[in-house]
Amino acid sequence: MRFRVWPRSLAARTALVLIAGLVVVQIAGLGIHASDRIEVLRLAQARALAIRIAGIYRTVVLTFPENRQTVVDELRHGSDLDVQVSDAPPITDLPRMPPIGQSLWRVNLNLSGVPPPQHWRGVEIFGGPRSRQIVIGLRMPDGEWLNVRAPLGLVRPWHSPAYLAAFLLMTIAAAGLTLWAVRRLTKPVRTLAAAAEALGRDVNSPPLPENGPSEVATAAAAFNTMAARIRRFVQDRTELLTAIGHDLRTPITRLKLRAEFVEDDEQRAKMLADVEELEAMVSATLAFGRDARTTEPVVPLDLAELLRTVLDEAGDAHPDVAAMLHYDGPAHMTVRARPLGLKRAFANLVTNAVNYGGCARVTLQPPSDSGTLVIEVEDEGPGIAPGELDRVFEPFHRGEPSRSRETGGVGLGLPIARNILRAHGGDVTLANRPAGGVKVTVTLPA
Amino acid sequence: MESAICNGDMEPAPHILVVDDDREIRDLLARFLVEKHQMRVTAVRDAREARRAFANGHYHLVVLDLMLPGESGIDLARWLRGQSDIPIVMLTAMGEETDRIIGLELGADDYVSKPFNPRELLARIRAVLRRAGDTVERRSEANNRNMRFAGWTLEPARRRLLNPDGAEVALTGGEYDLLVALVDRANRVLTRDMLLDLLRGRQAGPFDRAIDVAISRLRRKLEDDGRNAQLIKTVRGGGYVLAATVERA
Repeated sequence: MRFRVWPRSLAARTALVLIAGLVVVQIAGLGIHASDRIEVLRLAQARALAIRIAGIYRTVVLTFPENRQTVVDELRHGSDLDVQVSDAPPITDLPRMPPIGQSLWRVNLNLSGVPPPQHWRGVEIFGGPRSRQIVIGLRMPDGEWLNVRAPLGLVRPWHSPAYLAAFLLMTIAAAGLTLWAVRRLTKPVRTLAAAAEALGRDVNSPPLPENGPSEVATAAAAFNTMAARIRRFVQDRTELLTAIGHDLRTPITRLKLRAEFVEDDEQRAKMLADVEELEAMVSATLAFGRDARTTEPVVPLDLAELLRTVLDEAGDAHPDVAAMLHYDGPAHMTVRARPLGLKRAFANLVTNAVNYGGCARVTLQPPSDSGTLVIEVEDEGPGIAPGELDRVFEPFHRGEPSRSRETGGVGLGLPIARNILRAHGGDVTLANRPAGGVKVTVTLPA
Repeated sequence: MESAICNGDMEPAPHILVVDDDREIRDLLARFLVEKHQMRVTAVRDAREARRAFANGHYHLVVLDLMLPGESGIDLARWLRGQSDIPIVMLTAMGEETDRIIGLELGADDYVSKPFNPRELLARIRAVLRRAGDTVERRSEANNRNMRFAGWTLEPARRRLLNPDGAEVALTGGEYDLLVALVDRANRVLTRDMLLDLLRGRQAGPFDRAIDVAISRLRRKLEDDGRNAQLIKTVRGGGYVLAATVERA
């Protein structure tokens, strides 16, 4: 797997942006703090050094010229300062200090407590922090020069390790808090996604709680309104179908009665066949409308026997394919389900196999470790075009027109079967068999 | 042909009371039963008229639509049961199982769901009339009570069979009718002709083979070994008998 720098999830992205920002701010803060501290340390360094140098100057000035060399030797002993008395300003390869730096040293020398009568007659300053040393030449009242060479120690802004540790700890804590807060803040987005997913599966899934931050509450309310509209729409359609189905029963009954008075046997048979087809459509429509709010109680039933009965009935209805219907599985298996609903679901699947595939093999597998029953309904027909596979479960979708003519369905067989099986906590999927034909896989909780 | 079997020892023309709110269906059904099948029919449109007709005439059977305007068909069925043992065939709405179960529990004898096939309705009417005329079999108030035999339970009100573990075993309409007939007349021989008559209107195809097929499926469902059947025995000379004690509860 490739490591992705830009994560996929909103929470991770937000956290990444926030933490990156935090790190930048921390680094900048640290930088500002360090440069500030360096400045202060340099100032302190300059001041301390200036006081020392002024002290040396005073000592040397107050000494008789003939004794000065001895005093200087004495001062140099055991010190990091190189003090010399000369009749000329210092000779060094260090560059002259720039005026801004010089004024700092001059101010410090002036403040160092040397009395005014001995005010500085001449000051030459070379070097600076960059060259890590400084050379200062001070002209004494009698024209001799006191030249001092002093090292400038490296200024360390991070002298304390605890400081860095605290800083790191603070950053980590802030990052942790950021992660937590971001996860919390993006939770409504995940909830919304889950709710949308649930709505897709079941239009009657519970509404979202409309609380939390105002944007989230607004989104939840909008989502609930949308769900209610969809529910209303589905309900309207279902009620419409049911109403049409109910209203059609009377004219169909009349037609069936009238057909009995047709003297021509052939015409009567054809008429009755037409009416049967019409009735089958109404029956499917009603079943589709009803399944959405099934009220049939769940009872223990013998699933194996139910499957065999479905095959028997399919064989009775199509005697020409009766020999092509097979059941494979245990002789009995008790499950808890809705008998009429489940029978209709499997009858629809077997009828499809018979109508499109000319045969049906139903296989019942005993429950697996996960507690799921698998029932397969296979045929050896032409199969389903790959593009159609995901559309066959759409209500009123009917394969190719040439096929639906002879089967006369309304395209509700699979949607009804799926509604029923899902209401049982199971599902149904369709796939083409490698050997040709369709394999319908039904799962049911054992 | 078949009318000879059904109406042989009954009065020549059974009188049917049809209760349905659709005038056309009433008229067509009356014509169908009267002209084609030599029955007498009185057709009324609602419960009020049905009561009046029932009080003023003698009927052998009521065909009752459960979806009536005003007083419901269920209420009328309850009232009829309170008055007499008259056989009732209900017309139920497709898919309205609750109505059907309530009706059967009230003591209606049979049902067809609307839109019904007239011939199936006719077959039901004849089967119910024949049972009602069969004085030995005519149950008093024992209508539609559950029947237990050899561990199995048959629930007529719900038209279902429960195995000894209490799990429902699916039956086709024909298998159910056949099993009820066998259990109703347990330990007595049912001729193939009687069974054939039961299946008519329920099933398409050649009936005589249908009997054998239905019996073999019933044996499979009752876990009765076909070669050495103990529960549904084949009687030499063409007939079947259910060999079991039946308890009604």
